[in-house]
Amino acid sequence: MIPLSDYLIVGAILFGLSLAGIIINRKNVIILLMCIELMLLAVNTNFIAFSHYLGDNLGEIFVFFILTVAAAEAAIGLAILMVLYRNRQTINVEDLDSLKG
Amino acid sequence: MTFTIPNFIPAIPEIFMLVMICVILMTDLFLGKRIKSIAYSLTQLTLIGAFLLTMHQYGMPKVYTFDHMYVLDKLAILSKLAILLVSFFVFLYSREYIGMTKLPRGEYHILGLFAVLGMMVLVSASNFLTLYLGLEVLSLPLYAMVALKRDSGVASEAAMKYFVMGALASGMLLYGLSMLYGVSHSLDFTAVAKVVSETSPAHSLILIFGLVFIIAGIAFKMGAAPFHMWVPDVYDGSPTSVTLFISSAPKIAALIMAYRLLVESAPGLIIQWQHVLMVIAVLSIVLGNVVAIAQSNIKRMLAYSSIAHMGYMLLGIIAGTKAGYASSLFYVFTYSMMSMGAFAMLLMMSKSGFEAENIEDLQGLNSRNPWYALMMLLIMFSMAGIPPAVGFFAKLGVLEAVINANMTWLAIVALIFAIVGAYYYLRVVKVMYFDDPKDATAVTAPMDMRIAITINGLAVIALGLFPSALIGLCRNVFFG
Amino acid sequence: MDLLVEQIIFFAFAGMTVLAGAVVVAVRNPVHSVLALVVAFVASAGLWLLLEAEFLALVLIFVYVGAVMTLFLFVVMMLNIRELPSREGFVRFLPLALFALAAIVAMMVFVIGPQHFGLAQYAIPAHHGADYSNIRELGLVLYTHDVYPFELAAVLLLIAIIAAISLSFRGRRVGTRSQVPSAQIAVKSADRIRIIKMASEPKVKR
Repeated sequence: MIPLSDYLIVGAILFGLSLAGIIINRKNVIILLMCIELMLLAVNTNFIAFSHYLGDNLGEIFVFFILTVAAAEAAIGLAILMVLYRNRQTINVEDLDSLKG
Repeated sequence: MTFTIPNFIPAIPEIFMLVMICVILMTDLFLGKRIKSIAYSLTQLTLIGAFLLTMHQYGMPKVYTFDHMYVLDKLAILSKLAILLVSFFVFLYSREYIGMTKLPRGEYHILGLFAVLGMMVLVSASNFLTLYLGLEVLSLPLYAMVALKRDSGVASEAAMKYFVMGALASGMLLYGLSMLYGVSHSLDFTAVAKVVSETSPAHSLILIFGLVFIIAGIAFKMGAAPFHMWVPDVYDGSPTSVTLFISSAPKIAALIMAYRLLVESAPGLIIQWQHVLMVIAVLSIVLGNVVAIAQSNIKRMLAYSSIAHMGYMLLGIIAGTKAGYASSLFYVFTYSMMSMGAFAMLLMMSKSGFEAENIEDLQGLNSRNPWYALMMLLIMFSMAGIPPAVGFFAKLGVLEAVINANMTWLAIVALIFAIVGAYYYLRVVKVMYFDDPKDATAVTAPMDMRIAITINGLAVIALGLFPSALIGLCRNVFFG
Repeated sequence: MDLLVEQIIFFAFAGMTVLAGAVVVAVRNPVHSVLALVVAFVASAGLWLLLEAEFLALVLIFVYVGAVMTLFLFVVMMLNIRELPSREGFVRFLPLALFALAAIVAMMVFVIGPQHFGLAQYAIPAHHGADYSNIRELGLVLYTHDVYPFELAAVLLLIAIIAAISLSFRGRRVGTRSQVPSAQIAVKSADRIRIIKMASEPKVKR
């Protein structure tokens, strides 16, 4: 007997981890991108858990689309990362400070 | 399971856009090298076509299609018209600059049109799913457009920041939406609204929890404090033509998104979201206006000014009345017009190898080209909210709405900081008129741009003298 | 399914997901991060299977682990970030991050905990029979009810293609070996072999 709340807590912990990762990570942009993937995983787990316990498939459909978007997003994010690396020879977050305000 | 063919008629403008994008993609591939302007001309043709098609729908009764996923109501039609019109001007202003900075024309215009399509989808959404997809169709091309200046380190850095922040905002928004879905068993705005207003207090805690994430997501996308960190960097780092685009039409779409998510799908929680938005609006107004004073880079100054303007725009939503929503709509229409004009002026002053981006680059504009200086003066007056420019009526409208909702203190704070803000707009005017130019060459631009900036500048004053027509249109959306 | 077994499976996968998530954030080497993320995805695919979302669980493994994570790995390797970044920032921001993590998780658990989403409010739904096909159910709505979002997803993929190519493709560089299909098709036999008429050699008389 696994209650819905257990799944939601897994989602919440993943979400918290990814937020903490974005705060903590000052060295490497690629880890930021991974944290965003982790965040979407948390959201997806939430949707699927709700979908299962509510007995409809709206949530699963939503997850299907989130996965599509996330794949597209990852492609664009990595492309931007490549351009950045080519220009700057670094992907260190702290070195990216030519824009300050 | 039965399937009936959905009614495609309401979505004709979007379908037209998509088809034309594919046509441009192909034409540019084969003819782009030979006929340089083909992507540009076809893009403008597409926008005009979509504008006329949407115009044709004006006055149609509210209609849902695609199984209640797409709505065509007055709000959607009016904001689509505004988005298309603004985008037309944006591409017109950017044409020279794109050629000058050697941005890839085909990709630039195609991505731009995709973003416009995303805005149209977003304002016509009546379901969380389509809202989310519209938002992503809007954002993804923008991230890429910022990075399109591929050999510029600053631009790619700005793109990376924009991307990370945007993706984070989407994640927040989605987490909030999942909570709303879990409680309401539905993704449809009207169905969710019904459940939200009937929910027991125990569940409303969860709803508020979800709502906080949703508002954070909205504020991120809008660029309102305290989620504004990306705005100055992105405005500054992007190619100016992309800044022009980001600062104009997407703001309209962002307001409609906030309206649909808060007012249409969570009217039962109005007290709660009013309070959260109040904090955001006050922070934005204060921070935007104060930090803008310290800026010497005009792109950064306008970025902070946009943060402040987003705060003012939210005031109408906070009022929670129909008149308030109408004033917000009026505000965002006029804001995107002013912002467009201001960045267009920077585009016109840029020459190959020189980007106008500091306030001192505007020194003595009056002696270099008095007409442009006058237009810029009108736009700056309007942004500062000095009558008779239209910005005055925009501010008046939101303040009136807030006062009518018995939130006088909010109006007073907003007013005080509007006066503080007037300082940095007037500084630009002072620099243009009373400082000597470093570079005395006359500023020139092609004919179409001159006509456009004239229309833009005069519209600011004309709408200020006769605001009732546009205000009437905005009110008609909510009262009619 | 035996309840205890289900619980063991749940806690195993949930623990693995959370642990792997923590590793993604905490390790220094980006390659290790990517691999940990793969573990997190596979483990949550297990959770999704428990939730009877078979199709999505498999999509997560095939598309996500198979394609997106590989792309990440490619990029990490290609950028060749060999030197392990020092941890100064890590230590500096660790308290803040831990605080944020604790606050967020505590707040979330308070809201979404068993008192609101326990068994009393959301009973365990009946398991589907063996003849139930998750992919069929999704397919039925995906192409009918959800045709509009489906088209939008197609638009998104097109955008991703255009954006990624226009950002990273810089034309063919001289000196790289690449195919030119049009030239390959247009080739004629005359370009490849030359038939030379030669007088046959006279027979050597013995």
